[in-house]
Amino acid sequence: MSLVAEAFASQVAATEPWPENATLYQQLKGEQILLSDNASSLAVQAFLQMCDLPIKVVCRANAEYMSPSGKVPFIHVGNQVVSELGPIVQFVKAKGHSLSDGLDEVQKAEMKAYMELVNNMLLTAELYLQWCDEATVGEITHSRYGYPYPWPLNHILAYQKQWEVKRKMKAIGWGNKTLDQVLEDVDQCCQALSQRLGTQPYFFNKQPTELDALVFGHLFTILTTQLINDELSEKVKNYSNLLAFCRRIEQNYFEDKERVPLRRKSKTQSEENTLKKRKAKSKLWILVRTLGGSLVKTLPLWRLTNSY
Amino acid sequence: MVQELLFHQAGASLPTPALHVALQQQPRDENGAGRGRALPGYQRSQGRQDGGPLRAQVLGRRLGASVCPLRVSGGSGDVPILTSEDNIVSQPAKILNFLRKQKYNADYQLSAKQGADTLAYIALLEEKLLPAVLHTFWVENDNYFNVTKPWFASRIPFPLSLILPGRMSKRALNRILLTKGEPPLYHLKEVEAQIYRDAKECLNLLSNRLGTSQFFFGDIPTTLDAYVFGFLAPLYKVHFPKVQLQEHLKQLTNLCRFCDDILSCYFRLSFADG
Repeated sequence: MSLVAEAFASQVAATEPWPENATLYQQLKGEQILLSDNASSLAVQAFLQMCDLPIKVVCRANAEYMSPSGKVPFIHVGNQVVSELGPIVQFVKAKGHSLSDGLDEVQKAEMKAYMELVNNMLLTAELYLQWCDEATVGEITHSRYGYPYPWPLNHILAYQKQWEVKRKMKAIGWGNKTLDQVLEDVDQCCQALSQRLGTQPYFFNKQPTELDALVFGHLFTILTTQLINDELSEKVKNYSNLLAFCRRIEQNYFEDKERVPLRRKSKTQSEENTLKKRKAKSKLWILVRTLGGSLVKTLPLWRLTNSY
Repeated sequence: MVQELLFHQAGASLPTPALHVALQQQPRDENGAGRGRALPGYQRSQGRQDGGPLRAQVLGRRLGASVCPLRVSGGSGDVPILTSEDNIVSQPAKILNFLRKQKYNADYQLSAKQGADTLAYIALLEEKLLPAVLHTFWVENDNYFNVTKPWFASRIPFPLSLILPGRMSKRALNRILLTKGEPPLYHLKEVEAQIYRDAKECLNLLSNRLGTSQFFFGDIPTTLDAYVFGFLAPLYKVHFPKVQLQEHLKQLTNLCRFCDDILSCYFRLSFADG
């Protein structure tokens, strides 16, 4: 957006308070959403919780296409739609809520630098893992990404997205990296975050900021998503202060809500199949019982008729 | 333990030190216990007949330069390239890693937190400043046709000089569009406006961080200083027709002073070449 358009948008934003019916859109939680999108969505939810702003999470299969920038999550507030953490933070700031007001210039520079580090390393590594690693692509990503669409659209869209992501990876120089190098980068990033966090409760001492929300979103998703193997989450688990950090934010900002609990593992395709089979089996069992029950009831009548 | 490191490059004394990659020996402090003092560079350079004396220097640079390795077989086509005995290392980050393994490290005095800060600031530079620098050098038509292309073409042997600068330019544009050109920015002008805004903000942040100290982490230059210098020096010194970002940089006097300091300390020998 040009400068004028941005200034106008923030003017409009500033005039209205935060409404009660603000909604956040993301893809379907159980069957469609991927690792990187889930991380971004969780980061935004954490940020809004930290600002104490009410938000309702709505899952839609076409969230990616509804979003103005093509990325999830996006929020619908009043009559404005804003996507991605950066613009959402600015939007919320225009409405008068900010988490980083208490920081001085040098700290703000550091915060921005660390947010870029997380985006540069962690987010790119997540994208690499889910779109450029053939095993993960075949087993998890393709089926999840194409879940809401009928054949052949599910395959076409998945391949198209994969091609786009691979092109981007090549442009930034990650095209030739092996999985081990990517995991090493993740390790380096986690080490940097762990060293910066040290023994403090949050990155900028007592109060959480958008950096805490972003780091929480990514790390929590990595820790709780089940992929083909556990290499990625093992890298994070090496740093105990990061684990404590995630736990602390979860406890303070998410556990007192009675909606769907945060700690869930997204299922792989085989788990979903077994679940479907179990449901089908239980339906069959109910059918058998009712039929059997009705048979048993007719039994004495039959005996009566036979005795003649 | 003096190793001979040859630093190959597409051309000899290029107008700015950044692309020079000149190796210089500046023993600022004589306790040579394998500590890379100041910039992780050292060694006496070895001249190569490549159209001029080649000097090699190690600083992390990313200007997207990629030239066919005429004399180095087995290289991947990137400059700067570092060859040492049998190893060929090609990208700035890998070169720095290689040097660290050889025990030349500028970051000994840094605490763990400062090391983490280094990584974060490098990510910030690559994300916010690099697109605008690439744009200034390779995509902005006036700059590209008047400065960058003739300069590179003059140093690359004939048939390639027609092809390679064009390829580098296309690669730079591609990178900018793929990483920054997503909706709601649909027009190249909007993308350009956005990346220049980001770059100016990044320069402001760097200036705030540097403050009045001589280098980013006190009095001793470290890897972060090398990276920042690598980005800023060409921007500061090359004479461009379209100078938007350069003007902004010149207003940040502490960054200009920082560049001048490093230039005068470590690039003294090549300063005469311009």
